[in-house]
Amino acid sequence: MKNLFSDKKTIALLSVPSIIIIAFAILAPLVVSLYFSFMEWSGFGAVTFIGMDNYRQLVLHDGTFYRALLNTFLLMLVTIFLQNPFAFVIAAILTKLKDATSRFLRTIYFIPATLSLVVVTKLWVSIFNPSYGFLNKLLQGIGFQNMQIAWLSNPKTALGSVIWIMVWQGFGWALLFYYSGLMTVPKELEEAAKVDGANKFQLYTKIIVPYMLPVIQSVIVIDVISSLKQMEMVYLSTEGGPGDLTQFIAVYLYQKAFRYSEYGYGNAISVIFVILAVFLTIFIQRIFRERSAGKKRVGA
Amino acid sequence: MYRKIGLFALMLILATTVVFAQGAKESGEGETVVLRMGDNIPDRSTGWGAVIERINKEFIEMHPEVEITTESYQDQAWQEKVKIYATANQLPDVMKYWSFSTLLQPLVDGKFVEPLNMDTFKQYGYMAGSLEGNVYDGELYGIPVSADLWVIYVNKALFEKAGVPLPESWEDIVASVPKFKAQGIIPMVTDGKDGWPLCEMFDNIQQRISGSFQPVADAIDRKARYTDDNFLQTARYIQNLVKAGVFQSDLVTSDYGASRNLFGQERAAMYMMGSWEMGLATDPNFSDSFRENLDVIEFPIVEGGKGGSDDLLAWFGGNYIVNAKSEHKDLALEYLEYYAKVFPAYAWETQATFPAQKVEARESDTIVAKKLLDIAADAKTTSGTPGLDRSTAAFKETHQDLMRRLMSKIITPEAFVAELDAAAEKAAK
Amino acid sequence: MTRYQVGRNSKKTLLAIFLGLFVVAQVFPLLWVASYSLQKSGDLFGPELFKLPVNPVWNNYVRAWFDGKIPQYLTNTLLVVIPSVTLSTVLSFSIAYACTRMQWKLRPVAWFIITIGLTIPIHTTLLPNFIWYNFFGLIDTRIGLIISYVAFSISFNAIIFSGLLAGLPFSMEESAFLDGAKYRHILPSIIAPMAATGFATVGVQTFLNHWNEFIMANTYLMSEAKRTLPFSIIRFQGQYSSDYAVQFACMTLVALPPLLLYFIFNRWIVAGITAGAVKG
Repeated sequence: MKNLFSDKKTIALLSVPSIIIIAFAILAPLVVSLYFSFMEWSGFGAVTFIGMDNYRQLVLHDGTFYRALLNTFLLMLVTIFLQNPFAFVIAAILTKLKDATSRFLRTIYFIPATLSLVVVTKLWVSIFNPSYGFLNKLLQGIGFQNMQIAWLSNPKTALGSVIWIMVWQGFGWALLFYYSGLMTVPKELEEAAKVDGANKFQLYTKIIVPYMLPVIQSVIVIDVISSLKQMEMVYLSTEGGPGDLTQFIAVYLYQKAFRYSEYGYGNAISVIFVILAVFLTIFIQRIFRERSAGKKRVGA
Repeated sequence: MYRKIGLFALMLILATTVVFAQGAKESGEGETVVLRMGDNIPDRSTGWGAVIERINKEFIEMHPEVEITTESYQDQAWQEKVKIYATANQLPDVMKYWSFSTLLQPLVDGKFVEPLNMDTFKQYGYMAGSLEGNVYDGELYGIPVSADLWVIYVNKALFEKAGVPLPESWEDIVASVPKFKAQGIIPMVTDGKDGWPLCEMFDNIQQRISGSFQPVADAIDRKARYTDDNFLQTARYIQNLVKAGVFQSDLVTSDYGASRNLFGQERAAMYMMGSWEMGLATDPNFSDSFRENLDVIEFPIVEGGKGGSDDLLAWFGGNYIVNAKSEHKDLALEYLEYYAKVFPAYAWETQATFPAQKVEARESDTIVAKKLLDIAADAKTTSGTPGLDRSTAAFKETHQDLMRRLMSKIITPEAFVAELDAAAEKAAK
Repeated sequence: MTRYQVGRNSKKTLLAIFLGLFVVAQVFPLLWVASYSLQKSGDLFGPELFKLPVNPVWNNYVRAWFDGKIPQYLTNTLLVVIPSVTLSTVLSFSIAYACTRMQWKLRPVAWFIITIGLTIPIHTTLLPNFIWYNFFGLIDTRIGLIISYVAFSISFNAIIFSGLLAGLPFSMEESAFLDGAKYRHILPSIIAPMAATGFATVGVQTFLNHWNEFIMANTYLMSEAKRTLPFSIIRFQGQYSSDYAVQFACMTLVALPPLLLYFIFNRWIVAGITAGAVKG
């Protein structure tokens, strides 16, 4: 019996194809990327070995790179500390509503998450347009006659607008996760708390949130990863501008390679980007593991 | 649940049927030669795009076995694509590109471009200097297609509506801003997202201030500095134009199509662009009133500056090239020659664009076409290749990026010239 | 009416307004685009905040459909998405099974490779894959795109499956083994049905992702004949830059299929998320 669960042929058959595909399409390219990150190459013509020069330039002198990092970080903060609590509250409300209403609202709230990034971006670019966009018409409609804000071009509003598009689309996922999580909270837990005389606020802070910690953790990990992965929206709307105010790492490396013809440099960004993504994910998971371990100790 | 699975299966079957039907059609075509082409003219039904389609159609009539597929993107996207294609060795057989050292030279150096026979193309009436712009290391690598004059298109009706006379100087334009705004009219639009029109303006205003186009070439060759006073003054002047509200508020995010459209939809009184847009006067996408009121003026002067309005920022940019690694090179070369032969006549007939070849002025030409011919004929001095295209690809990108920053007021003119100078220094090495 | 009840009612109204506003925020942008896609482009510049199409210009859709080459792009999308979704679902189920229910020495390594796939951003492979795929002749092929799509979706899907599979009792296989059944029989006819929700979730979710994917398709595909659906929007922006209504019509057309799919399957998405990511 035991050896059927460890039948080598079956294991190989089941696992090798996936691992080969991942190795071929994800891991091998990283090695190629590492190789080119030590080169100067325009994309065609001669390839010159330049050692660490790309990295030196990137880490020591590239303001745009740090701006991109900062923006990514800002987006993470916004999703974690604004979008998440908001999604949690809405999810909590949805669990208390009548079934039909709740289902209807969930369906509606998730709609943006099903749309293609291209559609979403072009949609909001139109809404933000100063000449025909809805937003400025709304401003003028409620009395700000002389307001004509170029949301995506104005240095003061560009980043906020771009982040808004991202948060708008990502909201549905956070909501869905929290809602699914909240549905698994055992009813007895709530009732026990009520018997103990906890009010609604305490019920959530003391009982439900701690119970939901694993879900909150997954959502935050997903948020961090998806914040890092933002690209298409910027690529299709501001291209990182004005200046580099809305630059994100993935867009920057793409532009460096295919617009500035600095393919080697783009790959150096790529390499740093991978390291950053892996570390950040591990780091966050570590934080949560320690916290939940600490909880258990206290509980015991 | 089972009903849903059934529904899904049905959808899948339908989809697969469509797919196979399509596949069967694809494979049943027999022996055709597909000539891949690419350009930066996405609109195929009017103007320049229609001229190309007409040439393609005639070419196919001469070669029934040939099929032509064309990809078109706006300038920036197209340039990005070409770089990607070159890296992957997937360039189209024939394509529209630009003669500049920033764009063509890297392709020539990479041996992607087929050298052409100068004597063959000389006979097609090219303007003096236009073919020469496509020569690298003594070989001709592309044929020029347009003569590019930097001008301002105006909508006379909107000027009348706002009670503003056509401007002679940028000061006139600044003074007219409140009058336009009071009528809900944007004074001037241009493509700011791509940046290069802003760079053209930079060169041009520099000339209007200093009286010569030479400082730009000198700064690139490091015989002068971008930090010199004439450039600093230019940067300040341009930033003040933005502050005065001359341009559309979303300048740095409105791309070529969006800005052109604002002008065509009669939302803007002026459109700063090159002579290749002369097809606006016959563009059926826009209203009759727009086309009737369209005119073109020389790039205005700067009051107190040394440059006159008859000094012309003009160059030969757009060209056509043949892929040296094309499987159908002979056919591609034949196409190119046919293009060279018929393009000027067809383009002028429909007033689609301003060709780099001599054309016959006609009584029936649009006002815009007539005016452009005059502007070209009256030019006292001309600039040649604009500054941003005289250096490396990286310099070009930096120049464009800096212009966008300058015009969205997130960089001071002082910092702007300093950074531009640093980029020129880096490129010269 | 007591004061308590008044408070309760106004609280309810407030809640309804709050939730309603939220509905508007999530849906209105779509309605806005859909509505103007049926009008003349000039209408967009009118002073009204929002205008319903009184005389709908259906011709915008006809133009979007034909000039946007939607049938061709749609076919191309399906040619990529159907194989990629099928492959990704089957492969991630297999690896999830091997890693959650079978015992082998390298299991932690294999699972690590799978989970690492989740953290690596797609975009870091865009530049190197260009050289790498080109070396194998995979640039500008559907296969190349399918491989990338599958590789990047296996990780998330395997995690969902493993959450589901871990919850099943081992007696399922054990009793089948006793009857003399082999894996090639057990997996498809005993285990897979138990993970049906997983297949639904993963299928729908992967379908949406691959259907909507843009940047890899934009980078790896070169010939016009292979382009996928999101391209029609990009293409339109150039070709009909002056015609916003047709652009909007094109956007609506591209957005519709995923929306329909979602409306049909939305319950499964929730079920799968609950079973996989939340519990697992």
